[in-house]
Amino acid sequence: MAAPDIDPRGSRHWPAAGPSRVPNWVYTDPGIFAREQERIFEGPSWLYVCLDAEIPNPGDFTRSKLGTREVVAVRGANGAVNVLVNRCAHRSMQVCSANRGTVKEFTCPYHQWTYDLEGKLLGLPFRRGFRGQGGMPEDFQPEEHGLQRLAVAGRHGVVFASFAQPNETLEDYLGPTMLGWFDRVFSGRELTVLGYQRQRLPSNWKLMFENIKDPYHASLLHVFLVTFGLFRLDQQSAIEMDETGRHGVLVSRRGEQKLNDATAQMSAFRGDLRLADPRLLEPVREFPGDATVVMQTLWPNLIVQQQSNGLAMRQIVPIDAQNFDLVWTHFGYADDPPEMTQRRLRQSNLFGPAGLVSADDGEAMILSQAGIAGNDDAECVVEMGGREIANVPHMVTETAIRGFYQHYRAVMGL
Amino acid sequence: MIAAAPGVRASPALRARLADLYGAYDAALAEGEYERWPHFFTEACVYKIIPRENYDSGLPIAMIYAESRAMLTDRIAALRKTMLYAPRIMRNLTTGIVLHSIDADGMRLAASFAAFQTLLNQPSKVFLVGRYYDRAVDDAGTLRFTERICVTDATLVPTSLIFPI
Repeated sequence: MAAPDIDPRGSRHWPAAGPSRVPNWVYTDPGIFAREQERIFEGPSWLYVCLDAEIPNPGDFTRSKLGTREVVAVRGANGAVNVLVNRCAHRSMQVCSANRGTVKEFTCPYHQWTYDLEGKLLGLPFRRGFRGQGGMPEDFQPEEHGLQRLAVAGRHGVVFASFAQPNETLEDYLGPTMLGWFDRVFSGRELTVLGYQRQRLPSNWKLMFENIKDPYHASLLHVFLVTFGLFRLDQQSAIEMDETGRHGVLVSRRGEQKLNDATAQMSAFRGDLRLADPRLLEPVREFPGDATVVMQTLWPNLIVQQQSNGLAMRQIVPIDAQNFDLVWTHFGYADDPPEMTQRRLRQSNLFGPAGLVSADDGEAMILSQAGIAGNDDAECVVEMGGREIANVPHMVTETAIRGFYQHYRAVMGL
Repeated sequence: MIAAAPGVRASPALRARLADLYGAYDAALAEGEYERWPHFFTEACVYKIIPRENYDSGLPIAMIYAESRAMLTDRIAALRKTMLYAPRIMRNLTTGIVLHSIDADGMRLAASFAAFQTLLNQPSKVFLVGRYYDRAVDDAGTLRFTERICVTDATLVPTSLIFPI
């Protein structure tokens, strides 16, 4: 890691109050964005790539974007997943332009340099020239011109990769607390992909993490969730983090549509609303324990969503300081009965760009970025629940945002 | 205008009724009269907005997935009473309507749509473009959709999809 005190503009200093303040320039400064790519996305992080179920057989591939760099995840002849940068070693052309498919090898369409599923350069036309003329130099070494390969780690059907070889295993990287919640959804049961949603938000990528690490907003912003008792501040809940604060989880239990001393402070609560077709919300318990909502934020590009029976990977793809894509991979289990699949599809109405709940978040992030832009010198206040960073058994807190920024500052040298 | 696919016999009267259905649908959306929108569908109906990426691969996840007129009513109630979104104007254009078949289950039609979004103080932008795959029936004297599958060319939605298309 580079020296922690290099500032791209020489003028960025974190507010003295520490992680209970977030300066607006972390959401707007292109220099900060470039440093995030270098230290976070291309640093020793395990980044979410795809699910095993998307590429079950040798030769199956899917494209993914890790930070600003595009990769291809392909299952090799030996059954292991290779994650390769989608860039020909010759003239940097993308060698793969389909989203998914099955191949025997990758051939660059420009000059037909051909790579095997491990990214090794197999050959190139006219390497020896034509009739004694041209060709590559005698000392050209094909083994030095393969596709760039990333370190890969997998767990229970989920594929992660890293541009730098992290000095910890995926399991150590997640830590025991996160691993427990991760294994709750990814128990080793075979997964099946139900489909994709993609959304471009004119907002900084970190606001997405903050949104899911902030349970305080959910009871106020999300009228739909609150009204139908899916997620509410007065329900038994918890915020947990790993030791570094970089990962977090928000855990809640479903309640009922009823009034109490908490709903009195939630102008969002609409006791008069009833669903004309209640099939939209007929969740069934499918995991051990009594948690009904478990939202995991895994540094630096993944949210694992378990909202009742709505399961999805939400992959965060930064575009630039003020734009990111959110890629939703909805899934279920291969042995789900048809009525469970139907339930997941109905509940998916809550999520994605048209989500009865998620659209609120998308719009909130857009409005946040609009308020941040032009106000670089201002800072956000993150003091709900105090200034400490600690696991708590309630939702009236922003502690997980503070935990995130504590780690962020250490990695970024800010 | 309603075109008929080769071999499909459609009377001028039927074409006029279909044109009325499609025209009234777009007009309701254009005026923001979303409470009228569920009534273009039969009580038992299917309405989906699904990206072509999923549709072509047989992946069922849709951005909006409704299985009854009541679910459409719930969607409108939610956007009126529960959802947060920045003010916007949506404009929906439907063109190239083709009647593909008429049988005991009703009519099969397809058309192209373009939806434009204008946010406050922003220029108008193309929001979503795609195909409608429709089924329509005579429901006690009124033509209504029993199925409308909106297949969007792009999966990537700029900002949020608040209003139906």
